[in-house]
Amino acid sequence: MKKFLLLTVLVVAVLVVACAAPTPEKVTVKETVVVAGTPQVVEKVVTAPAPTAAPKPKVLRVNGGAFPDIIDPQKSSFVGEIAHLHLMYEGLTRFNEKLETVPGAAEKWEYNKDATQLTFTLRKSLKYSDGSLLNAMRFKFSIMRNINPKTAGEYATITNEIKGAEAWQSADLAKTSKDDLAKLEKAVDASIEALDATGKACKTGKDGYAQEDCLTLRLTFGAPAPYFHTVMGIWVAYPAKEENITAGKDIWWTSAKYHVGNGAFVLKNLEPYVRARFEPNPNYWGEKAKVAVEYSYITDSAVSYQAYKNNEFDIVGLAAEDLEATMKDATLSKQATIYPGACTFAVMFHQEKEPFTDKKVREAFAYGLDRESWVKDVLRGLGSPTLTWIPKGYPGYKEGEKRYSFDAAAAKKALSESKYGSVDKLPPITLTFSDTARNRTRNEWLQKKWKESLGVDMKLNPVDATTYTAMTKDSKTAPQTYILGWCADYPDPQNWLSVYWKTGAFSERIKYSNKELDKILVQADTTIDSKTRMELYAKAQDMLVADAAVAFAWNNVNSYMVKPWVKGIKTTPQDHWFPGDTTANTVDIDLALLPK
Amino acid sequence: MSSTSVPMSRLSDEAILARPSVSLWTDAWYRLIRNKAAVMGMVIVIIFVLVAALAPWIAPHDPLKINDGKGYLPPPWMPIEMSVTGKAGDPRFFLGTDSIGRDVLSRVLYGARVSIVVAFVPTAIIVIVGVIIGLAAGYAGGRVDNFLMRITDVVWGFPDLLFYVVVMIALRDTPIGDFANGLLLLFGALAVVSWVGIARVVRGQTLSLKEKEFVEAARSIGTSDLQIMARHILPNTLSPIIVMTAFRIPGMIITEAVLGYLGLGLRPGTDPREFFVASWGGLMLQGQSALNAQPWLLLSPAICVALVVMGFTFLGDGLRDALDPRMRGTS
Amino acid sequence: MGQFLVRRLLWLIPVMFTVALITFVLMHAAPGGPWDRDPGRRQIDPATQINLNRQFGLDKEVWFDLDALKKGDLLGFFDTQFITYMIAGTVDGEWRCGFICGNLGPSYAQRGMMVQDIVLAPPEDAPIWNSKAGYSIRLGVLALLIAVLVGLPVGIIAALKQNTWIDYLSLFVATVGITIPNFVMGIFLIIIFAVWFHLIPVIPKDWSDPRYWILPAVVLGVNLMATTARLTRSSMLDVMRQDYIRTARAKGLAERVVIFGHMLKNALIPVVTILGPALVGLITGSFIIETMFAFPGWGRQYVTAISQRDYSMIMATTLVFALLIQLANISVDFVYTMLDPRIKLS
Repeated sequence: MKKFLLLTVLVVAVLVVACAAPTPEKVTVKETVVVAGTPQVVEKVVTAPAPTAAPKPKVLRVNGGAFPDIIDPQKSSFVGEIAHLHLMYEGLTRFNEKLETVPGAAEKWEYNKDATQLTFTLRKSLKYSDGSLLNAMRFKFSIMRNINPKTAGEYATITNEIKGAEAWQSADLAKTSKDDLAKLEKAVDASIEALDATGKACKTGKDGYAQEDCLTLRLTFGAPAPYFHTVMGIWVAYPAKEENITAGKDIWWTSAKYHVGNGAFVLKNLEPYVRARFEPNPNYWGEKAKVAVEYSYITDSAVSYQAYKNNEFDIVGLAAEDLEATMKDATLSKQATIYPGACTFAVMFHQEKEPFTDKKVREAFAYGLDRESWVKDVLRGLGSPTLTWIPKGYPGYKEGEKRYSFDAAAAKKALSESKYGSVDKLPPITLTFSDTARNRTRNEWLQKKWKESLGVDMKLNPVDATTYTAMTKDSKTAPQTYILGWCADYPDPQNWLSVYWKTGAFSERIKYSNKELDKILVQADTTIDSKTRMELYAKAQDMLVADAAVAFAWNNVNSYMVKPWVKGIKTTPQDHWFPGDTTANTVDIDLALLPK
Repeated sequence: MSSTSVPMSRLSDEAILARPSVSLWTDAWYRLIRNKAAVMGMVIVIIFVLVAALAPWIAPHDPLKINDGKGYLPPPWMPIEMSVTGKAGDPRFFLGTDSIGRDVLSRVLYGARVSIVVAFVPTAIIVIVGVIIGLAAGYAGGRVDNFLMRITDVVWGFPDLLFYVVVMIALRDTPIGDFANGLLLLFGALAVVSWVGIARVVRGQTLSLKEKEFVEAARSIGTSDLQIMARHILPNTLSPIIVMTAFRIPGMIITEAVLGYLGLGLRPGTDPREFFVASWGGLMLQGQSALNAQPWLLLSPAICVALVVMGFTFLGDGLRDALDPRMRGTS
Repeated sequence: MGQFLVRRLLWLIPVMFTVALITFVLMHAAPGGPWDRDPGRRQIDPATQINLNRQFGLDKEVWFDLDALKKGDLLGFFDTQFITYMIAGTVDGEWRCGFICGNLGPSYAQRGMMVQDIVLAPPEDAPIWNSKAGYSIRLGVLALLIAVLVGLPVGIIAALKQNTWIDYLSLFVATVGITIPNFVMGIFLIIIFAVWFHLIPVIPKDWSDPRYWILPAVVLGVNLMATTARLTRSSMLDVMRQDYIRTARAKGLAERVVIFGHMLKNALIPVVTILGPALVGLITGSFIIETMFAFPGWGRQYVTAISQRDYSMIMATTLVFALLIQLANISVDFVYTMLDPRIKLS
């Protein structure tokens, strides 16, 4: 009976789909044939080769995650989006496997004496993947596009150090007259100068893009910004071509033909929600990529793990749930690749909501959190406990921070020293989280453990992801306490400290403000000598920890399964979708090791 | 109703009809308990209701107790070779533990409380509302039918998920939203959007039944519309109602889980005395991602849901047969 | 009959309008907005948000613009978000025709794309049925066929062999089918067919190969299959005991004629009632199945849209779904009259 059922299902299914799907054998191919000097399209019916007979090219099959919402350098903001962009494009600078800022499209850069001006010199005869010229005008266009209020990207503010950028970027388009807008644009235009060999401004428009000696890009800042060469390594300055953006309109990024880039790879095919295929860019200036990369978009980790075991992927993410079983298995355990990540997570305390207005209460909660146990039992080992803000592997990381480590006695003592005196006098506390099966377990654990160490009985409040964002974004609606993380945009302490903890910056959500800290951060941001600068940041981070503003909890780790035939991986904490994708051009596949 | 307005013939008629209707139920009951499958179904349902009610007394552990370092333990009776993590079970945890070392058996037992209630209460509301609207629309026909069916079209058409978002979030901080960890709110939300299927089916059946000879006959002897609906049409629509009701139950249990998956779940309790500690749906969701590490996290609630549905189906089938007037005196 | 059809089609308008109205109310009542992105992302800065609101017409009043009315601007009074979406209005100063012109609005999450581009346009150089809607329709129809072609015979056989092992087996299969959530059944089927037997790959390479469609279609259709089987069985049992069946048998009609000519026809009414709207449900797909099988359909757009508060996508999906549901229900009413000529449509 059952067998019969199954058979019927199969037969019916085959029939129906066969009707809907195009027949695979015969395909019509459009070929451009040059007949008597004029190109013309001829339609030919050819028999497609059987898929098995094709020679096996080196393809790195990676499962990423969700299909990106937008793949546009000046509008993207999410790790999955950037995972696509950074294969296709390259900024003026880039990051090496040690997360040092190294030359990218620019061969060198130079600050003026007070670091208010940064001059990039581009490599000679740089080419896009289609062979066309890439010069300073292209980068100028991209930076201008990022600032332009009409672009309206999530990262629009990241280039606000450039003189005039903030005024133009934040202009209210309806209330600003056309003339004023043009003025604002002009001011920014003057701060981003593309110069030719003689130091004169490059031509504009089409001629500008064709000008071969237009190799210098000079940026002028409103205040000293000695870290800005690092900012120019991230995706916001990737030089997508103006004519392609114009031709493809708002949806230019959906089409492989408009993604003409200067990175180590070229996008060959983008099938939304199914796969994207990148091939080596023959015109890349540096070490040529050795493999084609194919992204798939499976978000279910159980499915992708099965596919990996079935040799359908070369690299997939390794979920905490599968870690133990993987480590137990003799072959699989050798394929697990686990290394530090780019994010720090902390339990946030709202500084203006009771009872976290009292530093002693915050201290008590910080002492009462057993981070070792959290990482071991809740994260199942995929993470590392931390007591400070900047994660390991990033410039500014402080080794051996010990303050506010788990100490139940100290926690109780701090609570008794607070103005509340004891647990039962605390106002009700609610722990808010974005509701997923995983977050539920995590927050149930937190609640239970604080109950054990402090005796405090917190309420749990699950909300949906967007509500969570909307709540946490605004200090008025921000919950008393919740978990939030911050991931590096670029490897510089400025991105960790000034962008987050200055009064009015991201920490505004929990109303954190320390004037003393602000002062040191401003000083650090404008100091040119890198040693002094680092010392100032270290001091700032020290103060931050001392304030017990939040309870620093853990750093994420990148965890992947990598097949043994994948070679040449150089991991960095900043990797997006597969280990070593920051320098993806060194990744290779050893065909000898491939199973038949 | 004043008796004077009722003609004599009508009264005697009612008296005749009323007598067998008393024995109808006793008769049906005897037929029901003679049906082995139905009795089994009844036993299963009763067992689960008891489990739900008595969870705090029969659960071996505190379902919220975290056992450090004991995450994802397999059941102790499983041979160690079968354990993918290579860990041996702990005899204290009969079905193993979840990711942070909580006892799965206790969580499943406690989960029965929420899941049984979520399965039955909104379903009962849905069936009552759906049957009334379906009967009224199908029997009255014309404008009433058109009006009621356009309302079902609207309810069918509007986005239930969005409705849940709004209801579950906007009303969460009100006393209604806070009651029983938001369970009351969930009932309301589930019931408001789910009655349309049953209403349409009942209406379809009624459209056909009201043209049948026995309805004509009943009408010709002056039986009131209400009586025709209750005594002649409703019993004949029972079988699709029972099937749809039985199959709505897992739907409700899973919807509760999926709402959790989408970030609209119930507020988790922090004390075993609270109403919502765990639910089968939630356990299944947790278990799905840990399929490799601890399959029992998924399997045990799934088996429970299957048993409840099976039990309810058996019982429902038996009820239908027992209430079928044509089966009277048989078997 | 023709009059009935015209009347029902006219009724589409108020029903659609009501659905739109309710959806709009709910959408704007839900906390957060389209610019509140995933908590893991950087959020848009306030200045940019003002410009974006204008670009997308979110700076306008939702329902009615009383300020414009006070100024005597009647057109401005109606130039609101709701009217603009449904009929026409201005967006960032430019006139735009709305839903009635087939314009489903700009997506807020996938900025730069119109909703119709996302769901109705196929990928480059691909035929129209490779659009997201095309994929979903194909999978939905396939799932329906599986459900009906398996569920109906199983239900009939179970009824004819009531209380035998065949009946119990069918009950068991149906119960399993309906109780195992599809996120669980999906992964189990993948493990069995792809990992153990290697009949298909876990990750479909190319949806033009019919083999890849089987698993998602089965997982999508199994629920309806189980319901169909049980519903068919129970209403067959009802009909079997009717007098006219006894009469038909007594007349000496062949068993085949009795079963298909008399019983089935009468037993189909509840089944048909659920199948119409169920097909629409299958076409609009399933978030979980599409995610699990990396299926490029429409279903997950809807769920994602709700969690991202992508207003246009929510409205478009809801309205199209409501339209299809009503068309399905109209067809069901027609089928009633075919199955039972005594049913009158009014």
